[in-house]
Amino acid sequence: MLYRWLRDLHLYFGLFISPFILLFAVSVFYLNHGKLITAAEPPVETYRDLDVPDGFDRLKGREAVDRAAGILPQLRVSGEVGYLRYVARDRHLLFPVSKAGSEATVDVDLDARTATVKRRSMSLLESLSYLHKIPGPHNVAIRGNWIGTGIWRLFADATIYLLLFISLSGIYLWWAIKAERRIGFALLASGAFTFFGLIYAVVR
Amino acid sequence: MPSFARDFEFWNRRFHYYLGLYFLFFLWLFSLTGLMLNHQGWFTDLYHRHETQYDPDIETPAGDSQLSQTLDVMRQLNLKGEIDWPAAQPVGHIDFNVSRPNGAAQVRVDLNARHAYVKEFKNGTLHAFQIFHTFSGSRFNQPASSRDWAVTSAWVLAMDALAAGLIVMVVGSYYMWWRLKKRKTLGVLVLAGGALSCWVFVAGVL
Repeated sequence: MLYRWLRDLHLYFGLFISPFILLFAVSVFYLNHGKLITAAEPPVETYRDLDVPDGFDRLKGREAVDRAAGILPQLRVSGEVGYLRYVARDRHLLFPVSKAGSEATVDVDLDARTATVKRRSMSLLESLSYLHKIPGPHNVAIRGNWIGTGIWRLFADATIYLLLFISLSGIYLWWAIKAERRIGFALLASGAFTFFGLIYAVVR
Repeated sequence: MPSFARDFEFWNRRFHYYLGLYFLFFLWLFSLTGLMLNHQGWFTDLYHRHETQYDPDIETPAGDSQLSQTLDVMRQLNLKGEIDWPAAQPVGHIDFNVSRPNGAAQVRVDLNARHAYVKEFKNGTLHAFQIFHTFSGSRFNQPASSRDWAVTSAWVLAMDALAAGLIVMVVGSYYMWWRLKKRKTLGVLVLAGGALSCWVFVAGVL
């Protein structure tokens, strides 16, 4: 009974997360070996008469990012705000906005109520790598300021939890095949030897 | 069924769990560190590290290139890891950073005085564990960065092998599932659900 349940869950959970596993696996090659060569400087688009919220001189963190995000629909930009930089000297607000497939750099003149936007497209591999790394460990206080990032975080977490379940259920399913125990042990042991050997070589 | 198809079925099934068993510990490491990277709020003092400073005399570094001189300084100071140089070196100096998951060091060498100034950091265990996820010695968005430590290359090879192994396991599992007489309809629905969810993000809809 337990065997049948685990076998079915192993199959269906595996099928569901398999596109995510492929995404994470394929992007590894780009992250390890790819080099991003950006093309010439992208054209600058200018937007005028914007409805610009105030308070950027005193607001920080998520509150400031949420206000900046309010400007984005007027610029036809959507995505995760990477960070905010308020330049007090000339009251400009600069921030990058990204999602898989595209990245924009926004520069808002708060007094003139104008903004310039530079847009850049991502290749498929760069998009996969972007998703691999998001939300990530940086700027934790503001990360997930776009709904897409918040939902992606749930899927990324689900992929990990289900992968852990699949690996554990996989051990159970392998153990049930008596004829495969010996070679399975040999592979498990050689994998452990490689793993701990490499860890030792890195930290010694 | 032709014999090659039977052989393929036989080996495909075995490869699925052979690869899974071989890569089990790597898979757990990258899974757990992936969770850590996405949930930094779960940890306090994750980035706390122990710092020591010393400024030893050194011999004039051997070699005629920046890399060979740096490696000689590292040998004298007993430092290991991936090297990062600043964009420009001050005259009469070799400055560099060297890092690996369990620690890092900032080294400033005054070649004329034959003196080194070293600031060394030791990372905590959890922090070191987390760094293994990203320890590749190369950043795709910094074309000038490259690996210069053989151990990093070995670790990257392990990362690549795990990624390739996962791809083989996934593709092989599609075949095994498709050969089942039952579970096709529900399987198609579940796979389509996963693929559609993934595509929404890849296509930049969300």
